[in-house]
Amino acid sequence: MKAETHKVARLHAILWGIFSLGGMIAAFLLPVMIYLTGIAYPLGLWPLNGSRDPSFLVTGTLLGMLFVFVTIAGSLFHGIFRFQSVLTEVGLLRLKRGLETVGYLIIFVGIILLAYYLLVLNPSLPAL
Amino acid sequence: MEDNKRYPELRRRLSPGWWTANRHYAVYMVREWTSLFVALYSLTLIYGLSLWAMGSRADFLSFLKNPAVVGFSLVALVFTMYHAATWFYLLGAISPVKIGRSTTKPWQALVLNLILLVTVSYLAIWLLVLR
Amino acid sequence: MSQDIATIRVTRYRPEKDAKPFFQEYKVPYRHDMVVLDALNYIKAEIDGSLTYRWSCRMGVCGSCGANIDGEPKLTCASFLHEFKGRTITVEPMTHFPVIKDLVVDMQDFMEKLVKIKPWIIREKETPPEQGEYKQSAKELERYSQFSSCINCMLCYAACPIYGLNEKFLGPAATALAYRYIEDSRDQGKDVRFPVVHEMEGVWECTLVGECSVVCPKGVDPMLAIQKTKILGATNAIKSLLMPRGGR
Repeated sequence: MKAETHKVARLHAILWGIFSLGGMIAAFLLPVMIYLTGIAYPLGLWPLNGSRDPSFLVTGTLLGMLFVFVTIAGSLFHGIFRFQSVLTEVGLLRLKRGLETVGYLIIFVGIILLAYYLLVLNPSLPAL
Repeated sequence: MEDNKRYPELRRRLSPGWWTANRHYAVYMVREWTSLFVALYSLTLIYGLSLWAMGSRADFLSFLKNPAVVGFSLVALVFTMYHAATWFYLLGAISPVKIGRSTTKPWQALVLNLILLVTVSYLAIWLLVLR
Repeated sequence: MSQDIATIRVTRYRPEKDAKPFFQEYKVPYRHDMVVLDALNYIKAEIDGSLTYRWSCRMGVCGSCGANIDGEPKLTCASFLHEFKGRTITVEPMTHFPVIKDLVVDMQDFMEKLVKIKPWIIREKETPPEQGEYKQSAKELERYSQFSSCINCMLCYAACPIYGLNEKFLGPAATALAYRYIEDSRDQGKDVRFPVVHEMEGVWECTLVGECSVVCPKGVDPMLAIQKTKILGATNAIKSLLMPRGGR
């Protein structure tokens, strides 16, 4: 029993490490991502005023594809991981196991779908 | 903790509204709820990409132009910026650096990292859009 | 001859008599240099001898007199009456602990956690005294010095909502003390302490509320200790993943 819990704790330590990395990504990369796709493009603001559109992010370059993947995957992991604990702190502690299962499922499916869509939209994987 | 006492101890349970008790706790809760917007925006963008991958580029672009999506993006950006600011502050709090006789303060890490954020953002725009 | 009066509202809980706790108000003469402990002592000596609370050194070094004063975890001996708004001050037992009587809380949980982290220097091999003392530079001392100031007053546990929600959480003081020994250059007990701090209810429950460091009366930063311990845990876990039989 002791060895089992030790393994779980070690896994959790690694997941925490990924969560921390996700936090860095969400802090440094997500703002510009949201700005470009969510605000600059729809409202025609710099740097997407004029004819440029945000599809460049996906079909333009490998760099763009990587940027989207790293930013969204990292932010998704971080957000879900942290929101799970928030929910346990506002009265849902008893549902901790269930919340964790649902959370990791969303993360797993989300990242797989993200990778899949990015590959579908970039079948030739153009060079930098 | 064996209960060999003759009289019952008073056990007080924390209510789900515990964080309203003082300002520090409330600010903490707001900070943690930024994670919801970070997660929701990510899921929204994955959904948008699915519209393109399964449909057409026009589907994705019109999704982005939907006023509800723009409104949500604005809210998400505000919360993401708050996440970034509080994250930078925490980075400063957990890595104090001793320089000579004095130690760095968290607000200094906040300022430094905000400058870094602006730099990285401009770099991203340059590499992805302007080039 | 008008005397300045302060009203002290104290939680009373006498398990042999009361099913529920209630507040009792006492009027004490107010002096500018009075601390809450002085008021409690006045009450016990002059008004109501049954009022029960812990105290000892009355100067902020023993850690006995913790309580929630106007909602904040503080030492009663270190809280001047003039710090609080108005002349009515509410004194309750430290939050998150079971109450034995009045302001006296059951500390057993913390005591067990304290023992669990083994708060003493652990050596693989003790060198005999003839070989001299274990030397430590000022820089090495600085790595853990602040964490050794802990007086075990448990105000940090009273402030920590994570501990309030989950009693199994190792908590601020125990982790800070474990970290104090982990960072002590004379200590060689990482193998013994790491499993304790890195278990599921060890450091991982902490979500950086940070109140522990705010309320500590001795300037210990348990939040910092917990974060550093998390980083140690994550790096160790990744290392053991990459080098299963590898180096330490």
